[in-house]
Amino acid sequence: MKEAEQASPCQIFDRGELLARVENDCELLGDIITIFKEDFPSHLHDLREAVKARDGKSVAIAAHTLKGMLSNLAAAQAASSVARLEQMGCQGDSQGFDEAFAAFEDDASKVIPLLEACMAEECR
Amino acid sequence: MRILIADDEAMSRRLLQKTLERAGYQVCTAENGRQAADILCSLDGPKLALLDWMMPLLNGPGVCREVRKAKEQSYIYMVLLTSKEAKEDIVAGLESGADDYLVKPFDTAELKARLRTGLRILDLEDRLVEAREDMRFKASHDTLTTLWNRGVILELMGQELSRSHRENATTVVVLCDLDHFKAVNDSFGHLVGDEVLRETAKRLLASVRSYDFVGRYGGEEFLVVLNNCDPAFAFARAEEIRNTIAQRPVKTSGGPVSVTISLGLLLSHEWATRSVEELLHEADKALYGAKEAGRNCVKLAKPKAAASVSEYRVREPVKQRR
Repeated sequence: MKEAEQASPCQIFDRGELLARVENDCELLGDIITIFKEDFPSHLHDLREAVKARDGKSVAIAAHTLKGMLSNLAAAQAASSVARLEQMGCQGDSQGFDEAFAAFEDDASKVIPLLEACMAEECR
Repeated sequence: MRILIADDEAMSRRLLQKTLERAGYQVCTAENGRQAADILCSLDGPKLALLDWMMPLLNGPGVCREVRKAKEQSYIYMVLLTSKEAKEDIVAGLESGADDYLVKPFDTAELKARLRTGLRILDLEDRLVEAREDMRFKASHDTLTTLWNRGVILELMGQELSRSHRENATTVVVLCDLDHFKAVNDSFGHLVGDEVLRETAKRLLASVRSYDFVGRYGGEEFLVVLNNCDPAFAFARAEEIRNTIAQRPVKTSGGPVSVTISLGLLLSHEWATRSVEELLHEADKALYGAKEAGRNCVKLAKPKAAASVSEYRVREPVKQRR
């Protein structure tokens, strides 16, 4: 595995931060990316359904889980956009749900390809 | 050191598990707060825990509250993992009984450093408990023989007499005194004398049941309390005790030392409700009788023998009767 400091952080995903978090352990990196890829769709589904139902509490719960996962992966931008949804859910502010969800989906869609690229490059 | 990681999110659990295993911890995991509280409250549960704040069934602060309520003897160091950074959330978390908190996503070095703080606290607690237990033992046991000390054996005897009186049962009190112990000290020295006392204590303990009491009453005097003992077998039990001392010499650093023991026996049901002091006085009279009869024997305290009572009115000083 390459040294963590060689990876250049960007807005979507900070590779250096992630590698530091897994202590440059390729196996662990693979594990958490796999878990994320497996679990992310169902959490996203839960969030989408809660948004559709205008259920603030469920939005907050699903968004909180996704925020934790994305933060652990150093995907700051997607974590931040889902944190906005969590806050809206907590406050019962359902007016902005759709727009915030669309923004989050857009941010999140960029994360998996970057994680896969990171995995491919770091664990060759 | 064992540590519990409680987090409903699999990725976070895996990340923490691997990080902490690499740091030398034995990790167990829980997927919700209920499971975490059950593990931590179990008898052999881990003493260190990392708890996510938001979890199904019971949240992190809820786990802390439950653990603090249930655990009174052994301390559990709990760290809350939270993405809540508001002061009021942190205060609420700590007020629930958490010792520390970490904001997610965690920094690996900070996580390890904070857990090391927890380990220091737990180590300190272990040492305090150990010191307390040591003091408790010293306060209740005789230093030389590790038998119950005089204060405790008298208290136990009192409790046992009350119980047997309530239940219409019999407590057998045996006051024992090593014969010619002064001669052992004079001939072999006090260190050998101590070895003889320790071996005597060991043999006395071996000759009674696990629920009987044996204490050091004085210098070379021992008090044995046989709980709920059938009176028909009391004399035979006392004879067994006598024999266990006399049957073979004590191996000491000064060579083998032969000792015998005299015993005064008393059956509580024959004495109605007499105080511990009165009964001990009677047992002491019987012990004196055993010494008078040539030592290495058992004599029974008899309440109705008026003659023997007058005979013992003037008690021989302890030192003279050895």
